[in-house]
Amino acid sequence: MLPRILKATIKGLFYFFILYVVPSFLISQMSETAPGLFSSLTGLVNLFVIVIVFFVVASELTSGTIFQHAFNVGKAIILIVFFVLALGGGVVTLDVERIHLFADLRVVLGMLIVIDLLSLAKSVLQAVNFLLDRAERQLPTPKPAG
Amino acid sequence: MRQAIRAIGWAVNLFWIVLLFFGATVIYSAFQLGVVPDDAFISPIVDGVVTISMPYRFNNSGLYDISDLYLASSVKDSQGAEILNSSSQLPLIPRGSQVNLVHNISFSMTEMVADGFSYLLFNDTELSVDMSLGLVYARVIPVQVSTNMTMPWGAPLSNLTLGSVSVAPYNASHMRVSIPFSFENHSFFELNGAIQLEIVDNAGRVVGEGRTGVNAPPQSPPFRTTIDVFIPLTPTSFREARLYFDTSAFSYGPMVIPLV
Repeated sequence: MLPRILKATIKGLFYFFILYVVPSFLISQMSETAPGLFSSLTGLVNLFVIVIVFFVVASELTSGTIFQHAFNVGKAIILIVFFVLALGGGVVTLDVERIHLFADLRVVLGMLIVIDLLSLAKSVLQAVNFLLDRAERQLPTPKPAG
Repeated sequence: MRQAIRAIGWAVNLFWIVLLFFGATVIYSAFQLGVVPDDAFISPIVDGVVTISMPYRFNNSGLYDISDLYLASSVKDSQGAEILNSSSQLPLIPRGSQVNLVHNISFSMTEMVADGFSYLLFNDTELSVDMSLGLVYARVIPVQVSTNMTMPWGAPLSNLTLGSVSVAPYNASHMRVSIPFSFENHSFFELNGAIQLEIVDNAGRVVGEGRTGVNAPPQSPPFRTTIDVFIPLTPTSFREARLYFDTSAFSYGPMVIPLV
C-alpha cells in the first residue's frame, strides 16, 4: 500500500506542477501584456487542476482494482462536462473595459470531446479486459484426460 | 483487446499533443498580430458624398493565415437610430505578411436629411459609433472584437439665426427687404454653395426671392451675411420666409421661418 501512496503522491505532484504551476506562470506573464484578459481564466484552471489531480491520485490508489477503471471512466465523463461548460458550449465571450471579444471555439471543443470520448472508450475497454482477465483466472485449470 | 486499448491510448496521446501544440501556437500567433491604425483623412466631397477614410495596417507575424476579415462600423444618434453603416473586407492575410486596409465611411447629408436626421444640420450632438472587427483565425476559429465609442458631431448650420427684417423703398415699383442671418459651421467639412430666400405673403404666394453665396470653412467663426429681396410695391403683409440651402455637402429646403 505504501508504494502505491508514494506513487500517487508523486503523480499528483507532477500533474499539479504541469497543470497548475506552469499555466499560472504563463497566465501571469500574459496578463502583463493584456490585463484582465487572462485573469478570468484562473478559476477555470484551478477547477481543472483539482479535477485532474483528484482522479489521477484516486486512480493510482485504486490501481489493480475495478475502481481504477471506474475512476478513469468518471474522469472522462466529468472532463467532457467541464470542457463544455468552461468553453460555454464552444462560444466564448469576454468583456475587457469597452472591448467585447467573441470567439467561436466549437472546433476546439469538438477536438477535446473526441479525445475524452476516446479516453472513455479506452477506460471501458480496460474495465472489460480487467474483468475478463479476472474471470479467466477464476476458471478451473483443465486436467489432462485419462 | 489489448492491442485495441493500446491503439486508443496512442491515439489519445497523439490527439492531445496535436491539440496542445495547436493551442500553444494559436496563442503565440495571436500575440504576433499587429493592427496599426494610420491617420484618418477626409476626401473632397463628390456629389454631396462625404467620405472619411481610416487606413489600417494588419501585420500577421504569426504562424497561421487570417481569412475573411471584415471591419464594420455603425453610427447611431443619441436615440439609437442608425444613421449610417459601412463595412470593409479582406479575404486573406497570409502568415508573415502585412496588408493594408482602408475602411471608408461614406455618407450623404442629403440622404440623411431625407431619412429624418435633418436636426443634425442644426444641432451639435454626440453620436455613438459601434466598430467591430471579425476574422477567421487559423481557418477554424472565428473571432469578433467589437467596441463602442462616442463621437462629437458638429452641425454645419449651428446657431442659424435670422435677424430683424428691415424694409426700405428701392425704386418706384419695388421695395427692398433685407434679412440678416448667420450660422456657425461646426462640422469637419467645408460648406460652399448658395442660400436662397423666398418671401411668402399671406396668400401663400412667393412675392420675392434673393440668393447669396456661402463659403464657410470647417470650425470657422460665424458666417454672417444679409440677403436682399426685392418685392413689388403692393400693399401686402408677409407670412413667412423660406430658406433653401444648396451646398457642396447637402441640399436642404425649404426651411420655413415665420415673419411677424
